[in-house]
Amino acid sequence: MPFHRRQVLGFTIAAPFALGLQPALAANRAEVSREVLLMWHKLILELVRHTATYSPPVAARAFAYIGITAHEALATGNPALRSLAGQLTDLSPLPPRAAGQHDEPCVLHAALAAVVASLFANTGPTGQRAMTAMARKMGETASDGITGDAVARSVAAGQAVAQHILAWAATDGGAVIENMGFPMDYTPGTRPQDWVPTSLIRLQQAPLLPQWAQNRPFALPSADACDAPPHPAYDETPGSDFHAAALEVRDTFTALTDEQKLIARFWSDDPMLTSTPAGHWIDIVLQIADRDALPVEVISATLAKLGVAQADAFISCWSTKFKYNLLRPVTYIKRHIDPAWEPLLITPPHPEYTSGHSTQSGAAAAVLTFSLGENFAFDDATHVAEGFAPRSFPSFTAAAEEAALSRLYGGIHYRFGNEAGLDQGRAVAAYAAALRTEA
Amino acid sequence: MRAALLTIALAAPALAEPVVPTFREETESAGIDTVFDGDWDYMVGGGVATFDCSGDGFPELFLSGGAGPSALYLNRSAQGGALAFQKTEAVTLDAVLGAYPLDIDSDGVRDLVVLRLGENRLLRGLGACRFEDMTQAWGFDGGDAWSTAFAAIWERDQTWPTLAIGNYVDRKEEAFPWGSCTDNWLHRPESGPETQRFAPPIPLTPSHCALSMLFTDWNRSGQPGLRVSNDREYYKGGQEQMWHLEPGQPPRLYTEAEDGWKRLRIWGMGIASADVNLDGYPDYYLTSMADNKLQVLKDPASGKPDFADIAFKSALTAHRPYTGGDLRPSTAWHPQFADVNNDGLLDLFVAKGNVAQMPDFAAKDPNNLLLGQPDGVFVEAGDRAGVASFGIARGAQLVDLNLDGLLDLAVVNRWETAQLWRQTGALDGGWVQVRLQQDGPNRDAIGSVIEIRRGDKVERHEIASGGGHVSGSVGWLHFGLGTSAAAEMRVLWPDGTEGDWLTLSARSFQILRPDQAPETWTAE
Repeated sequence: MPFHRRQVLGFTIAAPFALGLQPALAANRAEVSREVLLMWHKLILELVRHTATYSPPVAARAFAYIGITAHEALATGNPALRSLAGQLTDLSPLPPRAAGQHDEPCVLHAALAAVVASLFANTGPTGQRAMTAMARKMGETASDGITGDAVARSVAAGQAVAQHILAWAATDGGAVIENMGFPMDYTPGTRPQDWVPTSLIRLQQAPLLPQWAQNRPFALPSADACDAPPHPAYDETPGSDFHAAALEVRDTFTALTDEQKLIARFWSDDPMLTSTPAGHWIDIVLQIADRDALPVEVISATLAKLGVAQADAFISCWSTKFKYNLLRPVTYIKRHIDPAWEPLLITPPHPEYTSGHSTQSGAAAAVLTFSLGENFAFDDATHVAEGFAPRSFPSFTAAAEEAALSRLYGGIHYRFGNEAGLDQGRAVAAYAAALRTEA
Repeated sequence: MRAALLTIALAAPALAEPVVPTFREETESAGIDTVFDGDWDYMVGGGVATFDCSGDGFPELFLSGGAGPSALYLNRSAQGGALAFQKTEAVTLDAVLGAYPLDIDSDGVRDLVVLRLGENRLLRGLGACRFEDMTQAWGFDGGDAWSTAFAAIWERDQTWPTLAIGNYVDRKEEAFPWGSCTDNWLHRPESGPETQRFAPPIPLTPSHCALSMLFTDWNRSGQPGLRVSNDREYYKGGQEQMWHLEPGQPPRLYTEAEDGWKRLRIWGMGIASADVNLDGYPDYYLTSMADNKLQVLKDPASGKPDFADIAFKSALTAHRPYTGGDLRPSTAWHPQFADVNNDGLLDLFVAKGNVAQMPDFAAKDPNNLLLGQPDGVFVEAGDRAGVASFGIARGAQLVDLNLDGLLDLAVVNRWETAQLWRQTGALDGGWVQVRLQQDGPNRDAIGSVIEIRRGDKVERHEIASGGGHVSGSVGWLHFGLGTSAAAEMRVLWPDGTEGDWLTLSARSFQILRPDQAPETWTAE
């Protein structure tokens, strides 16, 4: 059920009354909590970009755990919120707070600081320096005017939430990433339609994270619960459906307009150069939160559901990718249509079907539509710092469809891989959307 | 992947294994004890400069010290003997990230451009390895940045050089340093005849956290551009860059729309240039993290700066350690082409070392010495040659320190003493070393091209000041000759004068001047 502005505001004002705070102080503390949540996420988006292991599936996993942490940190002190324990696979009830006064911004900050420090423990010296600076600054902001014992009690509560989530995360199969996600050994398939490496990067002569579908999903019953239907039968014959799909990729590239090139690059969301596709959608939520002054509980619940939907979407998509192990357009086109052809974008180092960006964008759009409403118009300024003007969308669905199409423009996916990905993502999102975050 | 590699190995034609040079580390016995020290704001930098400031022909060593003191070491080696240096207080500065020798005022004595965390300095050589700070007197705005790249050139008809300085992150940014790359600067001469001052610097906007710069005539147009290698870790909207630099015109960026420039985004840390594929055009080795790049022009006739990356097929990716058991991806810094084993084929040295504590990248990351082979495929020999140090390397120089015709090696390490290796093995291949010298401005003829015949091909070498990782040399230019008894060589001087083809005896030092016969040099 979507949040509506009036319901949201009523909900957040009611919650602090339950804790016995004066309205003015409660509003102030809610605002501080909001700042804590948004500032940490601003840093997290940077850390995802600047931590070498954070490929898109890994990033989505982290966003899920961070979103859940924030929601649970708030839920442990707010009876109007419902914990996700028991709703998410293997998540046991969170540790209750100790008796005594707690301060919500301090709880939230402590939880986020701990979970971020752990998930990004492998970031470089600049990321470590930034996390230290953020922890200091947000710690000072959160604790300003709060008594020492309340701060200590709140920090302990927040850290307990973080440790609980981290212990849970450690058992999902995705906690350790070696060699930036590329296996040291890989035996390529022998069928003509099998994926082969597409780059001249040594590290990428094996596909990214071929075991990712073995990870424990969050809300999805199993990795293959939303499997995509088979792609058009592989065929090298001119005029066949498959050949036509590849030809469309080549011909689309040949006739690309400037706007289409821009769309391809806007949604390119390359790992190590951006916060990845999952981060792009997180950024969209943060921009909406800022524009609409969404309450902290709404932001955290939205981020938690979005994170779960995207993480499960990648598990689902990776299950499909390595089931079909389909070659990329660049491989097919060079072999059978135009040996000199090169796509606009760098082809990601994993099988084509289904499109990862399309799957997770389909999931993101569906869960955000459920949370924030149909025809929710917004401007996407995610890549302004990269030199891209904001793009306006009439709805999350429209944005996801553009994201999917961008992969055709970029020359890295067949249209059928994008469309099946969107459908797959939407199916995955139904499980995340069904999560209850209100009591 | 192993199966694929095995297939490639089996399919490769049988080649004679290149001669592996032998190096002996002589750091301690040579008297070297400078450490490149410092915390976060010294994670890049760590350069070495070699040049003769004493006038005896033997190159001195200037080592950056980061947060610790830099040091100038006088070369006391005997020709062909063990390396020996005398540490001096002549250039003891703090916050030094790197340095390049350059005869700025064209008085025949090399000066030193010192890149710093803070104000950069220009030190004028006075002879006998004494220096005076001419930063202000030459009108040079040293700025206050994290200066991490350098290149110099004499623009057409100029008597005073143009200096390009690359700058890194805004070091005051703590929580959000990403996207805070500060402007690079172009220091051109002040207008006016015979000027001996720099004009206020021109910002090279946009700047994307440069870690290497190089003036290069990439298309042999006679008009060099400025290549800039940038660290993608910190820029937003950035990429590798090249600037048009036409005399009297503002610098202008090569773009995709106007020039056909192709976007490349790497953790650019160093540029090495050489005519690796013998097509007559400079190729560029770009260091990064994990895979490194070797760019060659796809179609020189097109006039477009569209490069193919042939590192993979040349076995030059150098993407992970080849010895020591650490299989995590590498971090590469200073690259340098040179013929280390004197077989007439270019080899490549790459300094390696983790940024600091980046656990996803190799902690034990040995330097590479990749030996060239006739088929264009390189073979790793760093461990067999004895230079596979696990120090956290940054800058370096391959240079003949004891003038025996064999290239030696100096490497600056973070948090550890810089290392010095002498090449000691006997090599069958011959060599020749030349020094360019001209009257008037630009005494060391920066911007020249040396051509040397290699069978039926001509290998071209641009003589540049810049590139690498904050490290550079001026002095003897070394060429391996293989079994040739002499080198056939000519110089294309910066003013466009084409020197005659010369026959230079193997195992000799030659001073080359425009319109003059070569002068054989011998050590006193």
